[in-house]
Amino acid sequence: MKRLVLLVGMLLGMTAGASDLVAGVRARLEDAPLLRGEFEQKKTVAGFKKPLVSRGGFVLSREKGVLWDTRVPFASTLTLTRTSLSAEQGAGGAAYHLDASREPALAAMNALLFALLSGDVATLSTRFRVEGELVGADGWKLALTPTDAGLARVFRSIRLEGDRFVRSVRLEETRGDSSVIQFDKLAKAPPLSDTEAKRLAK
Amino acid sequence: MRSRLAILWTLVVLAVGVHQVLFWRSARLDTDVLALLPEDEQAPEVDAATRRLTDGAGRELVMLVGAPDWASAQRAADVVTAELSRDTALLAPSVVDASALEKAVEFYRPYRDRLLTPAQRDWLSRASADELGGTALMKLYQPAGPRLTDWDADPLGLWPDWWAARAAESQARPHDGRLWLSGEGREWVLLTWHSQVSAFALGADARITSAVERARAAVTAAVPGGRMVAAGVPLYAEAAAAQASQEMSTIGLGSLLAVLLLVWLTFRSLRPIALVGVSLVLGCAVALSVTALLFERVHLLTLVFGSSLVGVAEDYGFHYFAARQGKPPEERGPLMRGLLPGMALALLTSVVAYLALGMAPFPGLRQMAVFSAAGLLGAFLTVVCWFPRLDTGALPVTAFATRVSASLLRWPRFSSTKRWWLAAAVLAVAVAGGLWRLQSRDDVRQLQGAPANLIADQRELGRLLGLPSPAQFFLVGGESEEQVLAREVELKARLEPLVADKVFTGYRAMSDWLPTAAQQLADAELSARAEARAVAAVAAATGEAPARARFATDVLTPARFLSSPAAQAIRQQWLGQLGTKHYSVVMLRGLNDPSVLPRLADAARGLEGVRWVDKTQEISRLLERYRRLMGGLLGLGYLAVLLTLVARFRREAWRAWVPSVLGTLITLAVFGWTGEPLQLFSVLGLVLLLGMGVDYGIFMLEHPGEGSAWLAVALAGVSTLLSFGLLGLSATPALRSFGLTMLVGEVVIWLLTPCFRLPPGKDVVS
Repeated sequence: MKRLVLLVGMLLGMTAGASDLVAGVRARLEDAPLLRGEFEQKKTVAGFKKPLVSRGGFVLSREKGVLWDTRVPFASTLTLTRTSLSAEQGAGGAAYHLDASREPALAAMNALLFALLSGDVATLSTRFRVEGELVGADGWKLALTPTDAGLARVFRSIRLEGDRFVRSVRLEETRGDSSVIQFDKLAKAPPLSDTEAKRLAK
Repeated sequence: MRSRLAILWTLVVLAVGVHQVLFWRSARLDTDVLALLPEDEQAPEVDAATRRLTDGAGRELVMLVGAPDWASAQRAADVVTAELSRDTALLAPSVVDASALEKAVEFYRPYRDRLLTPAQRDWLSRASADELGGTALMKLYQPAGPRLTDWDADPLGLWPDWWAARAAESQARPHDGRLWLSGEGREWVLLTWHSQVSAFALGADARITSAVERARAAVTAAVPGGRMVAAGVPLYAEAAAAQASQEMSTIGLGSLLAVLLLVWLTFRSLRPIALVGVSLVLGCAVALSVTALLFERVHLLTLVFGSSLVGVAEDYGFHYFAARQGKPPEERGPLMRGLLPGMALALLTSVVAYLALGMAPFPGLRQMAVFSAAGLLGAFLTVVCWFPRLDTGALPVTAFATRVSASLLRWPRFSSTKRWWLAAAVLAVAVAGGLWRLQSRDDVRQLQGAPANLIADQRELGRLLGLPSPAQFFLVGGESEEQVLAREVELKARLEPLVADKVFTGYRAMSDWLPTAAQQLADAELSARAEARAVAAVAAATGEAPARARFATDVLTPARFLSSPAAQAIRQQWLGQLGTKHYSVVMLRGLNDPSVLPRLADAARGLEGVRWVDKTQEISRLLERYRRLMGGLLGLGYLAVLLTLVARFRREAWRAWVPSVLGTLITLAVFGWTGEPLQLFSVLGLVLLLGMGVDYGIFMLEHPGEGSAWLAVALAGVSTLLSFGLLGLSATPALRSFGLTMLVGEVVIWLLTPCFRLPPGKDVVS
């Protein structure tokens, strides 16, 4: 009888633990409508001996989208809204544009990047199995495994670390490539400039 | 001699009985409207294409379940799935194999270098080295995106676009583990199920239809704004079976009851009822057996049409008993001998008329013709061989029969008076006016009696899913497989401007999935050159030495492609070799407006080996051609019947002939005044009218002044009218128009025939 109570208690404890984790991470993260900062991306790609390193700045507007501007090793911009993805390289005139309104795969990818950058655990847990722990007084770690077949085709796992903000993202692709993105100088201000707003309105 | 015939007929009847038992044990009934349509003798490849496009869908049930938002649409889909899963012996979900896409990707992987969209081909051939290098670097440094290959096998990231172009051929997309599409204000989940029961075995109990209707009601009840659209051959088959069985019982039982009631009123004896009943049952059984032996499958519409046979085949029994009434039993033999010439002539004209229906190359019509002709013969032989033997008792004249017979004397009789000629003149004007207003319509939809809600669902589904039309397509032929693919490319170049103009949404062609050998070689070279520059630029920028992956050196052939899982979506459009040539079909999506069809026909003009096929229009033209042909034959038929009548009745032949001619003309005039269009099936009704209407005149001339002949004609006319009148209630427009023609024509002929009887005391046959 006592053991049964213990077992039930453990079960309850476990479920409480999982939702505790989500609630705990949400409590530690700052709920900001806008986030900007610097990034450093190290991408390991088959066929290249050293990781490909790029640096730049980014802006995330919860309402409008993401601007991902690479400065090193070459200048290029990536604009991501809920309905489209477009990329441009300063020199050479290389550019492309994808419309997500007809392609749910792309729309899902956009939603995922949004959720990853803003640490939206609630959205992530609809498509991933979420495991992790709270670290110290204000830190946390999450490991995400796709439950959705479409996502599993692209990612093997995703790891997130942070405190008030998401500090690093590690993407393991199913085909073997991987990327680690570190964030720095994260801030909730200043608001979108006119040029930035115009780029996101396209 | 007589008894030998009777025994012979008994043996035939026994054989038919055995066959009937076997037939109904494994009834193979056809409900497919296409089975009624003619084959195209000039172009068997068109038929092969049509058959291929409609085959395989025989058991499929396609449903869209929609709601205002995606979450409720998914909930609605779950409601439908739960409802349809109730009877697993009836329906099963068609598993969408998620690994099929992976298998297709693996199959194409070694040939990735030659799978380019037209836009990519254009870009690769004019992009500068900087642009190529920049694009490769940009995609390389981007945070992870959807890739199908390693970087070195697709450094410019071209392949996802090629797949996106293939995916654009269908509106539905995988989303949250379901097939999703958005349209007309709703989010939809696509569900495909299949019937576990063969379409030929689907009965009138409509089990699939009621399961689908239950699911539809559950969706409406459980999900606000929820909606379900369903289509599929099983639903049509069930609707057709239910409709046919209902119409068969209305027409068949209705006329049977009427015939038996008339016999009872006239003869007040059970023996005539039993014998006439036997002749009808045997007639129908013989008809069915002969049809089942001559044709692979009996069509449901044949049975519906065949039920009107009851009202025609009773004639012979009526004639016998009308003549027999009041005579002593010993006179049966001579009596039958006296009736035989008239009855045989009547049978001959009717059978010839029925068989004339079979001249049109419509398999369904041929079945109906064979069914009816065999049925008449069966009933006739039963009367001739069995009746004198079985009808042994006395048969007194009843008061009812006397009254009907006597009515002939009071019936107006045409004579050359001012009043009659005035009436004739008025009639002539009315007929001329009606003929002037007569319109014709030749439309394949006449054959389709499907309920309106099924057709509406089918349309909505086609619109939402952007399904290609199975009735309008391009047929591409060539000496070799390579030539067929090359001609498809030429055709597509002509179609592109029309797609850009939004005349239709897009096309689906084999050459999109398998480029020609020449194109494969050219594209492989083009991508090799461009990607080499891109890889070199990346090497320079990163200081590393990446290499482009190697691809297959052989050309992807149709044989290899078709046997691969990648061909699943397009395989049915490749007809392969027919005779000496190879053929494929290019299908069109989003073709909703019939007024654009001429522009499509124009698009193929001048392209060698490309043929525009518009099945709907072709069948309409065929219906028109045969309407005219049968109209001409009808004229010749009247002439031939007149000659036959003259041979027997000399100068009085017109008395049997004019009522039928007037019946035909007045029917046409009535159609003209009421706006009912003339079509092949009404003309066929007129052909049959000629064969049967003349019968009454023949009997009246054969037995002038005999009340018994009039009695038989009166009874036969009433029952025939009733049968075809009931056929006029059919939901199939073709049968309805046939029934209406027969109804109007028969009434007129029935009323007019006694007006043209011989003056009292005159006799034409000695």
